Amino acid sequence: MKKIQLILLFALFGQVVMTNEVNVYTSRHYDSDPGLYEEFTKETGIKVNIISGKGSALLERLKAEGRNSPADVFFTVDAGNLWKVQKENLLQSIKSDKVLKVVPENLRGPNNEWTAIAKRARVIFYNPTSVDENEISDLDYEDLANPEWKNRVVIRSSSNMYNQSLVASLISNLGESQTESWAKGLINNFARKPQGNDRSQIIAVANGEADLAIANSYYIGIMLSGSAGKEQLEAAQKVRMLFPNQANRGVHINISGAGILKHSPNVENANLFLEFLLSERVQKYMVDKSYEYPILEGILPSKEIASFGLNFVEDQTSVRQFGELNPAAVRLMDRAGWK
Amino acid sequence: MNKVSFWSALPFAVLFVFTAPILIIFSSFFGGYSENWNHIINFVLLDYVSSSIYLVFGVSLIVLLIGTITAWTVTNFNFPGKRVFEWALILPLAIPPYILAYTFTGLFDPFGDANNLARLILGLDRDFVLFPNVRNVYGAIIVFGFTLYPYVYLVARSSLINQSRSMQESARMLGLNQFQVFHRLTLPLIRPAVIGGLMLVIMETLSDFGAVEHFAIQTFTTGIFRTWYGLYDLQTAMQLASLLLLAIGVFYILERNSRGQQIYTASNSTYSPNLEKRLSKSKAVLAFLVCLTPIFIGFILPIIELSVWAYEVNRDFFTTQFVSSFVNTISLSVVTGFVCAGLALLINFSIRYKPTYLVNKLSSLLSIGYAVPGLILAVGIVQLFVYLDSLALSSLDIVLTGSLIGLILAYIIKTYALANSSIDSGYERISSALDDSSKLLGVVGWSMLRKVHLPLLKTSLLTSILLVMSDVVKELPATLILRPFNFETLAVSTYIYASEERMIQAAAPAIAIVLTGLIPILFLTKMIRSSRPVQIDE
Repeated sequence: MKKIQLILLFALFGQVVMTNEVNVYTSRHYDSDPGLYEEFTKETGIKVNIISGKGSALLERLKAEGRNSPADVFFTVDAGNLWKVQKENLLQSIKSDKVLKVVPENLRGPNNEWTAIAKRARVIFYNPTSVDENEISDLDYEDLANPEWKNRVVIRSSSNMYNQSLVASLISNLGESQTESWAKGLINNFARKPQGNDRSQIIAVANGEADLAIANSYYIGIMLSGSAGKEQLEAAQKVRMLFPNQANRGVHINISGAGILKHSPNVENANLFLEFLLSERVQKYMVDKSYEYPILEGILPSKEIASFGLNFVEDQTSVRQFGELNPAAVRLMDRAGWK
Repeated sequence: MNKVSFWSALPFAVLFVFTAPILIIFSSFFGGYSENWNHIINFVLLDYVSSSIYLVFGVSLIVLLIGTITAWTVTNFNFPGKRVFEWALILPLAIPPYILAYTFTGLFDPFGDANNLARLILGLDRDFVLFPNVRNVYGAIIVFGFTLYPYVYLVARSSLINQSRSMQESARMLGLNQFQVFHRLTLPLIRPAVIGGLMLVIMETLSDFGAVEHFAIQTFTTGIFRTWYGLYDLQTAMQLASLLLLAIGVFYILERNSRGQQIYTASNSTYSPNLEKRLSKSKAVLAFLVCLTPIFIGFILPIIELSVWAYEVNRDFFTTQFVSSFVNTISLSVVTGFVCAGLALLINFSIRYKPTYLVNKLSSLLSIGYAVPGLILAVGIVQLFVYLDSLALSSLDIVLTGSLIGLILAYIIKTYALANSSIDSGYERISSALDDSSKLLGVVGWSMLRKVHLPLLKTSLLTSILLVMSDVVKELPATLILRPFNFETLAVSTYIYASEERMIQAAAPAIAIVLTGLIPILFLTKMIRSSRPVQIDE
């Protein structure tokens, strides 16, 4: 009982005691992440403190805390989230050579305000029993608006940031008006009203409710691993994964990424933390658990993900574009009637 | 300071602190209006408003029907299972709407467990879908209806119990049949209480994000978040939230005023308890089903589905992580429950003792906090704390932001309406003549509250503590953003899986939320069982 009172007292009055620590605000919710933080503590003796939540909400907390913010690292999925924090001028440039050396330029902030930690591709899943191989040879995102796919495509709602980033990348490559007519064509081809998350789209294809699904690559890895239950494992075994736009600019790539905050009280530790995340051992550990693609060359993704092929063309559009064009993408989807 | 000014100053000061975050949200009206407004009005506003209205109407209809009919059935009739139903009817309060939504899709999606089972039993092929799609506004109406009807049931039941037998007997003597008594006497009498419960349901429905997001319905609240997250426009999002609150505020004041004209105080001296009528066999079966159905849909069914999921994986959740989340959840809900109910008691006492216009209005304003989407409320609180921190406390090196104080403040603002509704209706049952007598006897101020009101309000006070507790256990969005480092609650643990639709892994913490939420509910049911001043009509 005494102990609980003490804990409560501590919590009530916030973080008064400063120790050797790094404070991480994160919107990643992977089972494997706590293990990652423990490993970091074991290796460096630096304690990792975590607050997790939606990216936009964490940003508001950061903004409000301003100079007094205890946050050192902002760790999130989707480049749009990083861009927002960068635009509020809350991040400092990453100076660590170890980081800058291994991360390609298109996967970093304009002035190295943030860096990718892992990659994910937004790919197409199809059902081999109902889709002919000819239909999907050299398939592009653009083709999904064609009438031959009427009532055959599923994708989640436009509130989802992965879709917003995909549309932003299309705006960046095709321009706004062409993307808008694409969106209208795609909506015409929906097999059902957008619902559920990426995983439900894959399951819909497995069950024959639709023939094609757009979803992020790592979901199939999680489903194939069996950790999400037998049903999802069986569904995942029924579908195939396809990288679109291989004859041209490549498949849409998004990132998990992190940056160091401008008012970070523990900059040294924050740098160590980023270097740790980008070290070979941790990259391997991470992609094995999260089923993302690694940033470091020479590291293989998990075996489930690797089974779909490794030599695919990645869209080199800088991920910063996604944040910048995100509001335009949302307005475009509203106009097109994408629920 | 003399006592009179104390009783008008205290509630004003307290309320001002608690309404500050809501006022901050409203202050967005005075900021600029971005061009996103054009876009919103032209393309999406109509959708947001119409689906919200549709949702509110549907949910209201369901909770009114279930809440009043079940309450009327268990207070007036005697049939097998009645003793259990009396308390079991509030069990769905332990199920957060978002969890019922998740289990519904798990059951009723075309290849969900219920449809699979139906195909198996009926021997049909795999294209056959027995249960209709629930991922639409009708599904959402059912989800909110069956998790929130207990708010109406609770108030309807307690005001039915307080109706005296003599009144009903007079009505029967005047030639009304049982149904006419219900329709023409009972309903009008319980109306004010029921409308109060309905207000709670409407506010919770409108502020919900999790369930409607899961069903992919575009409501006003999802629109607020789309504006914030997608258009990167918090200012417009806060303006939308203020509009929502304004609409609810107007509605709330209208309801208060319509109630203000009528005064229902049962004079206790002539009160005689209800008689329970024994039902014939067929009618008893009907009564049994009427009471069982809402419990089955709102509680038993989701528990079964969650158990099936939890059995499949993640049995190892109930370990150290669970213990700390559990302790956190319980401590927070107990603290909030007591503080919030105490606050509501003070405010209601002061309004009664020393009525002032401003306090009355501020109390209404605090009540609409229930309708603020949790994340928007969190933004208001963060901004308030940053301001306070910058004013004075930074020199003390104590940071309010990111402390439990912020979290508890959020919970209090969010649940004040629950505490207030039960204490308010408790006070309505205390005749004002009692106050006059005690004043004559020199019992005033604190001692009137302590010696006269408190003993009479014991049940109301407990009810409000428990309602607040059960709501805090379920709260998610504000917790996510306001909690201190490394601080998990059960709802947070569930969310981490559920937001990724990993329901099988979310099932164990979800069951933990339900079990924890059951603790206050079971206390409530105990009170219900003992609040039964009824004789059996042999």
